[in-house]
Amino acid sequence: MKKYICPICGYVYDEEKEGVKFEDLPNDWKCPLCGAPKSLFKAEAVEVIIEEDEEELREMNYGEVSALCSSLASSCEKQYLEEEAKLFKKLADYYNSKSKLKGNFEDLINKINKDLDLNYKKAREIATEKKDRGALRVITWGEKVTMILKSLINEDIPTDKKIYVCEVCGFVYIGDEKPDICPVCKVPNFKLVEVVR
Amino acid sequence: MSELRAVRNLRICSKDCLCLFVCPTGAADTETGQIDFEKCIGCGACSKACPSGAISMVPYKYPKQQEKDNEVTERLKKIISSKVEQEQIAKYIYENGADKEKLLAKIIMKSNRLIAEDLYREAGYMLPQSNNTKKFLEDLLEKDKTNKEDIEKLLKLLDFN
Repeated sequence: MKKYICPICGYVYDEEKEGVKFEDLPNDWKCPLCGAPKSLFKAEAVEVIIEEDEEELREMNYGEVSALCSSLASSCEKQYLEEEAKLFKKLADYYNSKSKLKGNFEDLINKINKDLDLNYKKAREIATEKKDRGALRVITWGEKVTMILKSLINEDIPTDKKIYVCEVCGFVYIGDEKPDICPVCKVPNFKLVEVVR
Repeated sequence: MSELRAVRNLRICSKDCLCLFVCPTGAADTETGQIDFEKCIGCGACSKACPSGAISMVPYKYPKQQEKDNEVTERLKKIISSKVEQEQIAKYIYENGADKEKLLAKIIMKSNRLIAEDLYREAGYMLPQSNNTKKFLEDLLEKDKTNKEDIEKLLKLLDFN
């Protein structure tokens, strides 16, 4: 008898208590707390070691400039600096429109796998070593949301359900009613905003 | 000038209006619902009187950005690059893909942007008033003539520390 843990919200599926083996659950079974798909549950962490390719330091590209500007825009908003927020937002939109990158869902899956198998792992190692709790926070949230995105690419989004994105951490929830709090970053659910089809 | 100013969280404000009774300058009473920052003298009376805890006192001057270890920020920037690429690929699919792919692409685009924004906060760009932000804007100004005016305005408006 094993226990399976939801990597998103920490829910534990205990085979002994449930009386049903995890592998015998239907494939569309979802985490009863946060809706994460069965495929994300893990019995135990499996270590994968991947060699990373060396990248040289380079300047920020258009997409990165855009993301930094929109990040700063939201920080200005939080400080009630309206004019500054507007200017950063304008820069973010400008650079976003200049960024041209092509690709398909397969490319996305490859990048997601590299993030999960390598980028997040390495970052976690260093952040742990340097005792940077802030970095650990963003790594933990981002890794969970990345797992959810991976699972979305692998399955069809049901047409009769609503879709919500957490405006704080990017978590995606698919269901009828949103949870009380975001299962990843724990913000109250008014920050989970519906994505209109 | 006062070091603090009162701001109202409109999501929490229950319109009990005790702030209006205690504000010595009338700054709390406006048509937009937000405090009039020009009139606010930062005394904090409204914040203490508010029964909903909807008014907080925020500083004009922010402390220096906390030092970040270079190795940590480099690691975070690697993830940022990847997330931004994913966002941009999703944007391409959203704009050029089949109708049935658009919804998924839109979600991936939005989510990755939020992840990247959050990562930047921990990679040394938490504070708009930080030296890192200043340096970023100055570098951008050198290369970007189209948005020269806006970048210069930001450099002037932000109270860098």
